Amino acid sequence: MSLLSNKSAKEISDLLDEYGIKHGPVVDSTRNLYEKKLKEAMAKGKRPTSSPDKTFYREEEEEVTYVYTTPSRSDFAGERTTYMRSRPDWTEREQERSYSDYSRSKSEYSGKDMVDEPRMYDTPSTYRNSYVKSPPVKSDQKVPKTSSRLIPLWVQFVFFLAVAIFLYIIFSNMETNESLKGIV
Amino acid sequence: MSSTSQKHKDFVAEPMGEKPVMALAGIGDVLGKRLEEKGFDKAYVVLGQFLVLKKDEELFRDWLKDTCGANSKQQGDCYGCLKEWCDAFL
Repeated sequence: MSLLSNKSAKEISDLLDEYGIKHGPVVDSTRNLYEKKLKEAMAKGKRPTSSPDKTFYREEEEEVTYVYTTPSRSDFAGERTTYMRSRPDWTEREQERSYSDYSRSKSEYSGKDMVDEPRMYDTPSTYRNSYVKSPPVKSDQKVPKTSSRLIPLWVQFVFFLAVAIFLYIIFSNMETNESLKGIV
Repeated sequence: MSSTSQKHKDFVAEPMGEKPVMALAGIGDVLGKRLEEKGFDKAYVVLGQFLVLKKDEELFRDWLKDTCGANSKQQGDCYGCLKEWCDAFL
């Protein structure tokens, strides 16, 4: 979590734009004011230009932006137990999700939890945060640090499994035949 | 603003030159002192700040409040004064 005062004038300016705060140049005499405004905007939980889809997570403090290249995004079935980790603090970042292929992430999932490489994020769309940040490549900025999650990883995993099992039960009850092949 | 003070009228009547910051409408002795302590010792320095804030009312009011503790009326008076001065001379 980096402080606003450590940011460059350009970064402050960009943040102000993201929050839709009208502003002038960030110079010595105006910097204080803009930092204050940004803090207020963050505290109000205003979303910078990111997705409205955050049912679970709120941004505590707007921070650095991340670079993620986006290869093609493929559709996933919801019930998939492979859970690819994206960046660690996806809860509080506005960023762009990249969807790469599974196989890579599968093997790397267990090991690298907090890595600053683009990771695929594979969850049911109901509770994932889809951030829509249009520029695919910003500059190579900071690296996601290991900060606290709002909901720990294992809870998400368990929840995902619970949803999957629940859906499976529904499916199985819909089918009158004994054989359930071809359903899932 | 329906009516402006004499101070306002005096200020916007001519180029500000080297007028002290206390000459600004809304800025009295107390606020003027605080501004001077922060380095805004002349009216034109406050003008500079006003311009850097792109003559935006909200920003300027916020800045004034943060810098010298001006209340809403004082903020409005000062903003109006500078705005009108700019309209006339800038």
